Amino acid sequence: MNLIKAGNIGEASPARWSDAIGSAVIRAIGFFCFWLILTRGDPGDVGPGLIAVAAATWASLKLLPAEQWGFRPIRFAGFVLHFLRQSIVAGADVALRALHPRLPLQPGFVTYRAQQPPGRKRNTFCAIMSLMPGTLPCGTSNDGSLAIHCLDVTQPVVEQLSMEETLCMGALGGARSDA
Amino acid sequence: MSLVMDILTICAVSAGALFFLAGTVGLLRFPDTLTRLHALTKVDNLGLGLIVLGLLPQTSSVLFAVKLVFVWLLVQLSGAVVTQLIAGAVRHHGADG
Repeated sequence: MNLIKAGNIGEASPARWSDAIGSAVIRAIGFFCFWLILTRGDPGDVGPGLIAVAAATWASLKLLPAEQWGFRPIRFAGFVLHFLRQSIVAGADVALRALHPRLPLQPGFVTYRAQQPPGRKRNTFCAIMSLMPGTLPCGTSNDGSLAIHCLDVTQPVVEQLSMEETLCMGALGGARSDA
Repeated sequence: MSLVMDILTICAVSAGALFFLAGTVGLLRFPDTLTRLHALTKVDNLGLGLIVLGLLPQTSSVLFAVKLVFVWLLVQLSGAVVTQLIAGAVRHHGADG
């Protein structure tokens, strides 16, 4: 376990049992709500639903152990709006290129050195980036930087990625990560 | 009020269908696997988002509306993860590997 310097958040103590139980309860409630939405809350189905909730909670804690994300709700809401706007820009951009008679593409790879070290936060950032305009993360290079496939390498992709990463991490907060 | 909602539905669903069409055109016209992935994820996600947005005013209950939004979120999530896996595989092994 290598502890990553949290930088902006100065708390790097390992996750405690109370944290783990708290996050198990929160996740179980979330999964139960999700199950209610999917099945429209038929009382006859509560039994299987509860079993599914328990299994999902167990799997989620196994795959994604409890950690502090320093989540900031207001900044997160702002980021969601930004994300929706960028999704529209992304879709419209690719749609226009696809329908343009001359097919204006300059595809290629750009190397981006992420501010975040490898781990869950960087994976989250990559997942969001794959839905943003013009960029598609394709894994990590040998030197640890991210290989990003772009539809148009003449665009200022690295500057844009750096700005997006700052915004994204501002919304998700500094994690104490053991990844 | 329901007329306004119906107009919203018609506009949003039509726009969504147009984006799906553009995404399919991109899938056919773009030159290689990676550029086609751009067309599939970004354009189709926006198309589906617009169709969900257009269908929201027609839903009979809040629960059903939330379910529609979850469908869109799940597609976004699977798109974000699967495209990266395919893109990584193509970069390492080539399009045929």
